[in-house]
Amino acid sequence: MALLATILALRRDARILKLPPYLSALCIIVGVAWLLVLPLNEYSRNTYVSENALLPGQVHTYFTGSEHNIFRAYRHEVALLVDSSVEERTQKLGDLLRASNLKVATQNYEYHAAGRNISNKNVYAILQGPRADATEAVVLVAAWKNMDGEVNYSGVALVLALARYFKRWSLWSKDIIFLISGDSTSGPQAWVDAYHDQHDPRHVENLKIKSGALQGAVAVDYPAGPWGHRYDKLHIVYDGVNGQLPNLDLFNTAVSIASGQMGIGCTLQRMWKHDDSYQERLRTMLRGMLSQGLGHATGPHSAFIPYHVDAITLVTVGDGWHDEMSLGRTVESLFRSLNNLLEHLHQSFFFYLLLQANRFVSIGTYLPSAMLIAANFSITAIALWVQSGRPATPSANPIATEPSSSASKSEKNKGKEAEKSKDEKKPSMTVAEKDGAIALFPTKDLEITERALFLPLIFVLTTHFLGLLPLYVFNNTPEPYLAHTFLAVSNITSVLPLGAAYLLRQFKRPTAQEMTLIQCFSVLFLGMFLSALATLNFSLAFIIGILSCPLSFVRTSKNKILGTVMYAVLALLNPVMVIQAATWFFGHGVVEILVKAAEGWHVWGLWTQVVVWLVWWPAWFAGSVVVAGGLFA
Amino acid sequence: MPLDQQKALLFGSAAAVRLLLFTAFPSLPNRLAGRVEVSTPVTSFKRLQEGLFLYTHNVSPYDGGVYHQAPLLLPLFSLLPNPSYYPFATSVLFTMVDLLSALALAQIAESGQSVVTRLFKSSRKDLRWSSVAIAAGFLFNPFTVATCIARSTSALTNLFILTAMAKASQGASFTFVLALSFASYLAMHPLLLFPPLLVLLYDARASKTKSAPSPFLFSVVHTLGLAAAVCALLFVSALLTGSWDFLAATYGVRLLLPDLTPNVGLWWYFFTEMFDSFREFFLGVFWLHVASYMPGLTIRLRKQPLFVATTLTGIFAIFTPYPSIADATLYLSLVPLFRHLFPLMRYTFLASASILYASFLGPAFYHLWIYAGSGNANFFYAITLVWSLGLSIIVGDSLYAALRDELDVERPELRGEEVKRI
Amino acid sequence: MLSFLHFLLLIALVACASASSDYHERLLLRPLPQSTLLASFNFRSMESSVAFAQQNFRYFPRSFGQILQHAHTKELHVRFSVGRWDADNWGQRPWHGAREGGTGVELWAWIEAQSEEEAFSRWLTLVNSLSGLFCASLNFIDATKTIRPVMSFVPEGDHANSTSLHLLHGTLPHEVVCTENLTPFLKLLPCKGKAGISSLLDGHKLFDASFQTMAIDVRPVCEGAGGSCVLEMEQTVDMVLDIARSKRPRDDPIPRARPIEEIECDTGKGYNSGDTCYPLDKHAEPAWNLTELFGRPLKGACPLTEETGDDANTLCINTPPERTIQVNTTGKYAETRSASDTLRCYKLPIGAEFDLVLPEQQMTTGLVRAEPQLYAARSINGHGQERGSVQAVIKNPSETDAVEFVYLESLPWFMKPYLHTLRARVDTSSENPVRETYYRPAVDRRRGTHLELRMVIPAGSTLTLTYDFEKAILRYTEYPPDANRGFDVAPAVIRLLAPYQSVDKKGIYLRTTSLLLPLPTPDFSMPYNVIILTSTVMALGFGNIFNLLVRRFVGVDEVPALGAGGLKGVIMGKIERLKAKLGRA
Repeated sequence: MALLATILALRRDARILKLPPYLSALCIIVGVAWLLVLPLNEYSRNTYVSENALLPGQVHTYFTGSEHNIFRAYRHEVALLVDSSVEERTQKLGDLLRASNLKVATQNYEYHAAGRNISNKNVYAILQGPRADATEAVVLVAAWKNMDGEVNYSGVALVLALARYFKRWSLWSKDIIFLISGDSTSGPQAWVDAYHDQHDPRHVENLKIKSGALQGAVAVDYPAGPWGHRYDKLHIVYDGVNGQLPNLDLFNTAVSIASGQMGIGCTLQRMWKHDDSYQERLRTMLRGMLSQGLGHATGPHSAFIPYHVDAITLVTVGDGWHDEMSLGRTVESLFRSLNNLLEHLHQSFFFYLLLQANRFVSIGTYLPSAMLIAANFSITAIALWVQSGRPATPSANPIATEPSSSASKSEKNKGKEAEKSKDEKKPSMTVAEKDGAIALFPTKDLEITERALFLPLIFVLTTHFLGLLPLYVFNNTPEPYLAHTFLAVSNITSVLPLGAAYLLRQFKRPTAQEMTLIQCFSVLFLGMFLSALATLNFSLAFIIGILSCPLSFVRTSKNKILGTVMYAVLALLNPVMVIQAATWFFGHGVVEILVKAAEGWHVWGLWTQVVVWLVWWPAWFAGSVVVAGGLFA
Repeated sequence: MPLDQQKALLFGSAAAVRLLLFTAFPSLPNRLAGRVEVSTPVTSFKRLQEGLFLYTHNVSPYDGGVYHQAPLLLPLFSLLPNPSYYPFATSVLFTMVDLLSALALAQIAESGQSVVTRLFKSSRKDLRWSSVAIAAGFLFNPFTVATCIARSTSALTNLFILTAMAKASQGASFTFVLALSFASYLAMHPLLLFPPLLVLLYDARASKTKSAPSPFLFSVVHTLGLAAAVCALLFVSALLTGSWDFLAATYGVRLLLPDLTPNVGLWWYFFTEMFDSFREFFLGVFWLHVASYMPGLTIRLRKQPLFVATTLTGIFAIFTPYPSIADATLYLSLVPLFRHLFPLMRYTFLASASILYASFLGPAFYHLWIYAGSGNANFFYAITLVWSLGLSIIVGDSLYAALRDELDVERPELRGEEVKRI
Repeated sequence: MLSFLHFLLLIALVACASASSDYHERLLLRPLPQSTLLASFNFRSMESSVAFAQQNFRYFPRSFGQILQHAHTKELHVRFSVGRWDADNWGQRPWHGAREGGTGVELWAWIEAQSEEEAFSRWLTLVNSLSGLFCASLNFIDATKTIRPVMSFVPEGDHANSTSLHLLHGTLPHEVVCTENLTPFLKLLPCKGKAGISSLLDGHKLFDASFQTMAIDVRPVCEGAGGSCVLEMEQTVDMVLDIARSKRPRDDPIPRARPIEEIECDTGKGYNSGDTCYPLDKHAEPAWNLTELFGRPLKGACPLTEETGDDANTLCINTPPERTIQVNTTGKYAETRSASDTLRCYKLPIGAEFDLVLPEQQMTTGLVRAEPQLYAARSINGHGQERGSVQAVIKNPSETDAVEFVYLESLPWFMKPYLHTLRARVDTSSENPVRETYYRPAVDRRRGTHLELRMVIPAGSTLTLTYDFEKAILRYTEYPPDANRGFDVAPAVIRLLAPYQSVDKKGIYLRTTSLLLPLPTPDFSMPYNVIILTSTVMALGFGNIFNLLVRRFVGVDEVPALGAGGLKGVIMGKIERLKAKLGRA
């Protein structure tokens, strides 16, 4: 409490109001700098496997010899199915799995997103572990088509061959589920939803057979055609939907098995060339943050992670000398490790930034950067609050009141302020009499600087609800109209603040204090949301924080030029504009992105657009209105 | 009568909001009822339904580990249609409960006991909010709405506490005793409110009738009355359930904390991590700690009994074994009665900001722990610490303000001066 | 359907051998689809209850008998099981599931006692001594894992002369059954695994089986009313061996890829070549013999068994008549065929090794697969460690008759079911299939949930049973070392009432698989931190408030006047002077 008291004492000081902008600027600079030093050896660590039971690469693998011939045969079989219909395909795949004495079932699913129709069929088989009692299971996934839309010939064939091979072992202590999903994102999503009975039976079929609690999932993506193709590296994809990550132990196990046991190089975040330099590490990290921030599904594994099932995808890349059997042995060894697990993976980190296959930064080290960015908004909010609390002439002690809204109050306040401004001319005195003693003291102390909280609160809340509109529009517009919708929304949002500010001027002239409070609240909320978000999806919080940091510096200014400049800056940082710029920069079409987003919303349960429209956009809008208010003053 | 129009408008809109939420989002009530922040093992509506089911199927609800709520709730809710099929009646009931609580709150505000009592007249007495404003502050507090939608039975407890306060400030002995006995019967800890409210009642009486009744006789009569009422309730419950098992299953659970389901309070994680040999000792210490505030506050602030009662509700919201946001909303909606103290409070922004942060971060961290599995229990625990700290700052700060206010009356020359505590 | 009749018949044959001699044993082999083999061993030893009371035991193991007497146990059933019975492939369960237990250890007994308390204390005595006998942690069956079923179990024995029996039932789903449980099991046999069919029981093979269950059943059997009673102890071992897996030599159990020459390729495929081979799955019955399957030879008959008659045929195999079986032994044996030749039984030679050799053979008639009366599957829905819902799907394959059954759930106390959310739906009819419910809710740390439902499922329809539950968070000392694995929930037991009636009093049972229940875990590493932090917050509140309450306000200007005297004042003064100096400098 003593500390608080000193802070309060500081609050008396008039200079304190000059400080906050520099303070928040400092926060931002430090936050960014913090992020930039992370790739250095001093701040990042080498990865290590902390779950003792995993014992990666400790077993000899036997997936060789005649299995190779059989694998080739299966790959031909898969190749024959390319042009056949979904029904035939699943039928044939099911037969192949049934041939190795597994329990086989299929699942239809059909989603509607952005006016398109996503419908396909999953086929999966359950290998009942001889030592297992149907309490735990691990999943081996191969999507029929990978993320780039190529047919996953070798991946599917590998799953079939491994299913036949695994069946012979008697050491499995968990059931093994072999899932061949119709596509890379919606298929696994439908399957895992149905497995946990979280699905909508109108779109997704129930699973006929189930096993125990899922302990882990591994997906293979190896689109080499019927005549094979030797690859160079394994690209390990690990981002889940909404930026949730699998336990680091799973990633480490895969890396140590692939590189340590099989001698296959591992790469991540599409960094095909990675000479362990600072730039490369930084680029890896930033790519990782971007894909985490977008929170989109990056592979068949992404759907599992929200259900606390740790999952990764192994993608073969490049031209090298590793063949399909080495990938098969990697998967075999990985499953032997998972089979050793006694507990659900929990030892290692769930929050990390990977700089390289064997180097990472843990949450304790990187979280402060996002928190600092969020803190700068909170600092601004406090500053604005104090400032709004200052009367025209500084009184003995400006006092805070708790923010709670009520119509009658704000009326009263106006009256009070009016009268205050009057009786500040002549320092009136009040007489207090108490058991004989008479005391005189200025009336001013009887009064307190009141804040008109009603209008600002209402305004800020309304803007936050206003965000629901674009959210709904973008998630439910059919594809053909998306382009026009986007154009319209971008135009409207860029001029909307001006209109809002103008109307505000016309109908209800807000006092300077109210304007300050509007900004105060919106910035306060922004800071609060971002700090909460930073724990759920660090990257998204960081990106939005950086993009909206000007909001903590703009003010309502009488100076027209300054105001115009500020407004121009904000107009450029309009979320819609940012989206457009980003899509242009990364060479994607806006429509394509929007369609993906809509699919994400309807299928994967993607939350990114909620954050954009209900957190970022309202904050931007409120800030711009405050600035625009100055233009109409 | 413009005021009554205002009131009607307010109550109408509040009821409308609740019923709209109930009907527009049919899944919302159960979703909220599942939130640990809203419904605790001793107030959860789902557990009440289970108890009802067992009760209507002639299984003793107290011969099990699920139902820990008062027996009289069973016949009350068994009269209503089954909420899982016909939820409307229940929602109407809980809406009514909220409106009645708001009405009681308004009565407290109108009685003016918060600023002017028999022995004390605040120098800032003209600085007040209208009763409508205060009732609105209660009715539109999101926490209150959440509690109502979740159909947590702590709404009933709050209703009885507020009624007891209202009746006490109006000087209506009988209804006061009745309401307080119901509150204590439902939640046990409101019993601690009896002394301050008794003082309040006495003051109200004394200021009404010129001749003040003898304090001793007065207190004896009312204590006996309360005891009688509570005993009667317990006896009826025993008749109803056919045995005295319910005592152990309701008050026993509140006392001994066998169910460690997380909540916003400080107890659950403490006793999860506590060593077995010390569990009983610390249970005793914690309860002693909760009880210790009552005498101190009542004696020091005997001139402002209503403030004492309010502060105690705040204490309950922080330090009782199974607190929820319902207890917090009771306190936070009583604080505006002391509008005249706000100028003297110092940490308001800090406290309210920390409470806001807690209410945003709490659900996020709970999700990380329970569903995402990426965070552990410490995340949520840390947030409960922040929440409790924020509330306790408000409590302490308002107490400081109240004492300062008293000082201003005793020594007007110190008004506006820096003061020190010695 | 014909084959089904055959199966019932031979079950009858195996089960109801007359109680003339005092010791019987029989091994029934049944090839199952997917090249698996069901081997069910059955050993029965009798003791007249008079002799038992006088503690002179012949075939009945003394250690076991004394435990029963000490615990006043009139009828006892113990089960050790691993794996699960794959009903869709293997059909009906051996003994109609009456000699089978849920995963782990299951134990139920009828105990004679005057009061419930006495019964429970005797029950504790029983489980503790049995845990010593079988080297299993049966002693962990405490009040929270014990229930008193009402409808699910009926005594198999005749208890006319014994009064006030109490049925208690306990399960340990997490118990891992292994060889250390087999050895004491064999010790109870008269031939101790040295001779007779028990000489085939080898730990390595038994616990490499896809499904295996060991059962011990003790029951009194009386001849009519008031006739002489005998105490019958029945030991049963059922195992499903994967023939290919069991034939692997013990010194090299690794399933290496066979050389390509040994694999039969489908040359019909267009792409077939030297390095590409589509394997043909051969439909021929695989070749096997007892020795390589069980890892040790069958050392002749146990001399204690009958010399003549049906009981002398201690080894039976149930295959279509066309299957060729060569007998490989030096001693003299006898073969008898019955049940229209689907059942061949052998009288084993004494003192000479005996082996059955079945060559690989292309079969024309399929194997006998008796349709199970019910299929049952149970799983947990939802995710997250806060709450979930259990879903049991029970299917009635019969097209003609509805099935009535009892469904028994025994849940741990920290899994709190909400009975008002229990829904039972049948896809073909809208009427509620639940006829009768018995529910005993759990009490924290004192007793588990016990739920029994009597339900009827119409012909050819599927019944879906769901109920929600909530997971409690435990004290950190109550978690096992592998807290993050979760807790095992015992399998549900289903007993068929009508129309199927088993030939004896054993009844028809089936069990679902056990469930894994992950609970929320606290951080085990920081009790001290938690205690400190919480106490700090409380101290802040307490200190702040009482600090305000006990002190009194004065103006700042009055403070020095008060604080002037004493050491404090002096120090203050010095500090003031220092400040002044600094100010000047």
